[in-house]
Amino acid sequence: MRTVAFNALAVILLAAFIHITAVLSMPYLAPKNAWARISALSDANRMIVLPAASPSHQTLPLMAPDVRYSVCRFNLDDGPVRLSTQILDDLWSIAFYTPSGENFYAITGRELKRSKIEIIISTQNQVGVKAGASLLDEIEDLIVVDTPVRNGIAVIRAPLLGPSYAAQTEAALRRGTCSRNLPGSDFRR
Amino acid sequence: MRTLLNLLLIFGLALVLGLGSAWYMIEEGSALTTRYVGPWSVWREAGKPDADPYTKAYMARAGRLPITATSALYFFASSDETGKQLSSDCEYVVEGRPLNAAWWSLAAYDGTGRLIPNKAGRHSFNRTDVARRADGSFRIVLARSARPGNWLPSAQQGSLKLVLRAYGLRDADNVFDKAAAERGLPTIREVVCR
Repeated sequence: MRTVAFNALAVILLAAFIHITAVLSMPYLAPKNAWARISALSDANRMIVLPAASPSHQTLPLMAPDVRYSVCRFNLDDGPVRLSTQILDDLWSIAFYTPSGENFYAITGRELKRSKIEIIISTQNQVGVKAGASLLDEIEDLIVVDTPVRNGIAVIRAPLLGPSYAAQTEAALRRGTCSRNLPGSDFRR
Repeated sequence: MRTLLNLLLIFGLALVLGLGSAWYMIEEGSALTTRYVGPWSVWREAGKPDADPYTKAYMARAGRLPITATSALYFFASSDETGKQLSSDCEYVVEGRPLNAAWWSLAAYDGTGRLIPNKAGRHSFNRTDVARRADGSFRIVLARSARPGNWLPSAQQGSLKLVLRAYGLRDADNVFDKAAAERGLPTIREVVCR
């Protein structure tokens, strides 16, 4: 009887250990997370308009058929990255993610209140608020996004206001850029 | 010999239990991570930097990039109001009042998460293109062949999954109220099965 109880306890403890290990290691083991899928599309610091989700192709699982997406996988090893895009509607948004898919910042068209957006993506020590302020003042309405990570993903979402908006929306997204060409003078480190 | 067998048995059982429970809680969610509202489930912390380990594991497996920082929620349904699995063999009526969101979209996928090919090229209805009644409520019919009104085509066979995404969820005071959003979800009712 004691052996049975002992064995049952051993099973439960071992199972709990395996359970916890499996859950905690999943973010590092899952081979097809969003970061892997987007990394496969292009080099870093480029804006890519994702093909519209269709029955034969979805870049990311469960993409919305009525939203158009563009993504920039940024790498800040050589300094800040500049993201320029048009935001045609209040409903559009720009969201920033860590490689494990944590959405650390997002802003919507409604909050931006303008259509032409310039964003500098940098880590805190690259464009310190003090150091960068004077330079950044020269460019009107420039947004500086401090990221906790040197590698990450920016996603622009453009919900379609109707099927007839698809071409116009995709064209606007295609005009967006993501690059190391910073505005104004060179404020690399 | 008996001790070895015993150890193997303990290890085998623990492996099945440990991995099985982990898989279930990551794939299907649990009360710890997921809210269930009628047929809808929502991973409330998905995409949050301070999410719990189960949500983080789910995110890694799902490969999605949900937007969370600005009051968006994603609701998933694989069954109807009675808990019966959604099937292409059946016709469903999805009915509700408009969500209190700046934009929402209801999309149909097959059981594996693929969009369903159809001649109408219709995969979803959203706040801007759904036909609504005078009082703002809407009725979407999920069926294999064309129906009058808002017809969302389903597949020739197999199970179905509905995803309702809502961006800019806000109540009258402009506060992001998850609970209110969850109360206002549409119902999914089976009409007929063939």
